[in-house]
Amino acid sequence: MTTDTPLLEATGLTRSFSGHTVLHGVDLQVHHGELLSVMGPSGSGKSTLLYTISGMDTMSAGTVRFDGQELAGLNQKQLARLRLTSMGFIFQHVHLLKNLCLLDNVVLPAYLAGLAPRSDLNDRALQLMERTGVAALADRDVSEASGGQLQRIGICRALINSPTILFGDEPTGALDSTAAAEIMDILAELNADGMTLMLVTHDPRVAARTERVLYMVDGRIVGDRRQERYAGAHLDQRQTELSQWLMAGAPVRT
Amino acid sequence: MYARMIARDFRRNRSVTLILVLLMMLSVVLATASAGTLVRPVGASSDLMTQADAPHVAQLHVGPYDQEQVDAWAAGRPDVAHHQTMVMLGISGANLFFDGTAQTDNIQQNSLVVPNTERDLLLDLDNQPVTEVDVGTVVLPVIYQVEADLEVGDPVTITGSDGYVTELTIAGFARDSIMNPAITSSKRLAVSPADLADVRAHTGEVEQLIEFWLHDPDAESATFQKAYQDSDLPAAGQMVDAAAFRMFTMIGDGMVAAVVILVAALLLVVGMLCLRFSFLTAAEQDYREIGVLKAIGVPGHGVKQIYLTKYALLAGIATVLGLPVGLALTPLLTRNITRYMGSVPSVWNWVAPVLAGTAVLTVLVLFVVVLLHRFDKISAVTALSAGTTGRQARAVMRLHRSRMPVQLRLGVMDVVGRWPTYLLLFLVFAVSTFIIIVPVSSAATAGAPAFVNYMGTGQVDLRIDLRHADSTSATEFEQMVAQLESDPDVTAVAPMVTTRNDSVDKDGNTASLYVENGDHTLLPLTYAEGRAPTAPTEIALSLLAMNQAGRQVGDTLPVQVGAQVRELSVVGSYQDITNGGKTAKSVLPTGEDDVMWYMAGVELTPGTDAGATASVYAEEFAPAAVADIEQWRIQTLGPIAQQIMVTAVVSAVVALALAALMTALFTRMLLARDAGPIAVQRAVGADDPGLRRQYLTRVLLVLLLGVVVGTVAANTLGEGLFNLMFEGMFGGFESLGQGTSRIDFAVDPLLTYLALPAALLAAVALTTSASSRSISEARVSTLTTE
Ligand SMILES: Nc1ncnc2c1ncn2[C@@H]1O[C@H](COP(=O)(O)OP(=O)(O)O)[C@@H](O)[C@H]1O
Ligand SMILES: [Mg+2]
Repeated sequence: MTTDTPLLEATGLTRSFSGHTVLHGVDLQVHHGELLSVMGPSGSGKSTLLYTISGMDTMSAGTVRFDGQELAGLNQKQLARLRLTSMGFIFQHVHLLKNLCLLDNVVLPAYLAGLAPRSDLNDRALQLMERTGVAALADRDVSEASGGQLQRIGICRALINSPTILFGDEPTGALDSTAAAEIMDILAELNADGMTLMLVTHDPRVAARTERVLYMVDGRIVGDRRQERYAGAHLDQRQTELSQWLMAGAPVRT
Repeated sequence: MYARMIARDFRRNRSVTLILVLLMMLSVVLATASAGTLVRPVGASSDLMTQADAPHVAQLHVGPYDQEQVDAWAAGRPDVAHHQTMVMLGISGANLFFDGTAQTDNIQQNSLVVPNTERDLLLDLDNQPVTEVDVGTVVLPVIYQVEADLEVGDPVTITGSDGYVTELTIAGFARDSIMNPAITSSKRLAVSPADLADVRAHTGEVEQLIEFWLHDPDAESATFQKAYQDSDLPAAGQMVDAAAFRMFTMIGDGMVAAVVILVAALLLVVGMLCLRFSFLTAAEQDYREIGVLKAIGVPGHGVKQIYLTKYALLAGIATVLGLPVGLALTPLLTRNITRYMGSVPSVWNWVAPVLAGTAVLTVLVLFVVVLLHRFDKISAVTALSAGTTGRQARAVMRLHRSRMPVQLRLGVMDVVGRWPTYLLLFLVFAVSTFIIIVPVSSAATAGAPAFVNYMGTGQVDLRIDLRHADSTSATEFEQMVAQLESDPDVTAVAPMVTTRNDSVDKDGNTASLYVENGDHTLLPLTYAEGRAPTAPTEIALSLLAMNQAGRQVGDTLPVQVGAQVRELSVVGSYQDITNGGKTAKSVLPTGEDDVMWYMAGVELTPGTDAGATASVYAEEFAPAAVADIEQWRIQTLGPIAQQIMVTAVVSAVVALALAALMTALFTRMLLARDAGPIAVQRAVGADDPGLRRQYLTRVLLVLLLGVVVGTVAANTLGEGLFNLMFEGMFGGFESLGQGTSRIDFAVDPLLTYLALPAALLAAVALTTSASSRSISEARVSTLTTE
């Protein structure tokens, strides 16, 4: 389902922290509707890639275009607006606000964007929570839900403003395998509905369900593998193939 | 290694460290200054009284006087060590010119005296006795140098009704141990015996100042005074004792010192709270590090050592910086005292403030030691696994049910949701408000026209006092009243006759009472409780007299009238700080032998020049003293109000600085603590100006609550403290908390409820905006790499 103009395009993306270069001129294109995963050893720069490419962190060199728009040309406020309305984020530790109830956590970005009457936004939030199976928890505190439930809330929050792309930094990293699989089911379903997803992950079972896997080492993308869309079967076999590719040093294959 | 850790810590938390030092420095500055303002006036006033050898009891008397009678009586009393009588020649304001200006508006009763040479000395500005004045010159009381800007060499002219004119040159200024301040309405002008005799031949009214020195003034003064009053010795005038002299001298500066001490005490408490807050926050940040230190085997006391060294170092720097500032501030606050009473070059002037500053340092360091006990509870394992000590936040309010702007609502929710976090900030704001309002209101109260209410006089335009000298005085007074009543400029006259009557105190002992008799409904006096007496069976008591008698409104009080004792019912109470404060009002028959003085309160038709009328009357009704009440108020209370205002300005600056510093400290700590939630909100798309608005909302909401509570506290607790101060000053320690002072704060609403809160708001809002820039630094990436 790829079109010619990429949704997200990074060229020569470089990020240094006080002399220490973490990203070395990364080139990357992400197309509409893609389900992409980024793998690599700890400290290889996966998270940094995600945050610079989404404009949340500043880049040291290079350019990033999102939907044809140069991020470097936007000011802080415009970047925030872009994140608010066009991008969704989910994190390993969910990062919900503890002084808000779960429903409030979901509606917060919608209220900030203020694109519709609040009652409509509340309804949409409840629909999303219904769809992810956590509607019953609407009025609960953050401390009153399980890890899997919290991550569903995180997904609802990311989706509330109907973004064009969803970024995930180890979204299943803190979950047991059952909960992780359930979250992947939800994300896959979203992708099936046309959402673009870029997931940083350690977990080969997560990567095996995506259609494109990037492999990073020391701030460079050293492997870029495309695989069949996952249709719900032969997961073990896909995982084995992926592992073999990784062990082979993740040669670039298109 | 510890030294390196401390140095690194200072570098890392540069601004927080700076703010902490400034806060502790403020505490030290105020402690030093308050010790200075307390020690200086007490030292100066007791020094003045000792150097001058002030009398222990003094009786003013106008009329026939027999020195031998006094000598004989004094010789028969073992408690009298010395006695002497000074002749004072009262010059009416119309006959007295300072540098060409007639002193008709001057509320002081100016008398020429030949200075004493042994006791009750006048002291020059170097505190040397003025025992001799050259012919043709005069030594004026220091008040005229301070308030009237007179200088040595200026002329003082005295005229007589017979066309007599004499001119004296000011040779110097003198401090008078018993008549120094404006509030003591007599002033002694020292001249040579020849000049006194010359002037006396043409003008002036002679008055005797009969003075006694006792062997043991503290123990014997009260009995002595009673014995004197019960004898038939000359007593046509006021009797005053050393306690009253001291009180008059201290009233202005005492109020200043009380305000500064109050501010200093509050600030120390707040300073400690801030220290605790910053300490706990730092400890929280270092929690993991402490765990690591313990895990690698650094003993617990080693860890404590690091922290103790750090805070002791900061407190030490604060003290070194704060001491000189506090010492420099003291002269500003005690300027008044220095001019009136001189500064005594005593080591205590330096030692006491330095001790106070050092005491603050000690308290701060000891406080850190107490806080350090917390570290014992941190085990290596929990510190490394748990990470932070933060309490679990809870969601108490709901965003999705609100119509408010999001960031505003989030700010409110956060304050409500974890109010204990904001408690300290709230306290600081409330205390700051209190520190700003109480001194300002104290100054406004002392300077308000209504203050004369608390001096036993209603707000009349003129007050005419006539001493009872002999049997002709009563007729003189009646004629005066009749003449006043026929004056078209006069709308009302309230004639009052004050008698001295025997009554009882709460222990049943005889105590004398000054009772003012007349139609009290004519004087617009505000009663603290009850109403004015309207019948000879009723009496109203001053709050001090009420306390002395151990009575309440509604009780009865036995009062000796003529030969019989009457049970009068107490129908009202009012505040009076004149005549020793123990006075009463009634409508008793005024038998001549009990009469002390006559007084007429006069109301003029609106638009009449009270000052001019007063000088006309002064001439017409001489020897009666005519006071333009407004002038009198301005001249006696004005300087006190001004001096308190200086303190109020200093307090306001301190309070604003305190609020701003604390806001800066708090905002930074809060942002450090909230790095996670801020990063999350930025990640989901909240922009930085919006987040800053949220934090501004939090701080301003807390400020609003603090200002409201602080203002209410200032008008209740602050007013109470102000009254307590008055009670202590006028009734001594035993009347503290007895309700003998019930002054209502005179509040300038524009200043108190608008200008001052606005200044506080501006200071806090600016500081918050400036301190919340670091919001832009919060990144989710830093959270995930942790
Ligand atoms: N804010 C930061 N400041 C300094 N160094 C950072 C920061 N964020 C990441 N790094 C460094 O960049 C490197 C890559 O980090 P990260 O992108 O989080 O790796 P990954 O997500 O692949 O584990 C690491 O060495 C990390 O220490
Ligand atoms: Mg990472």
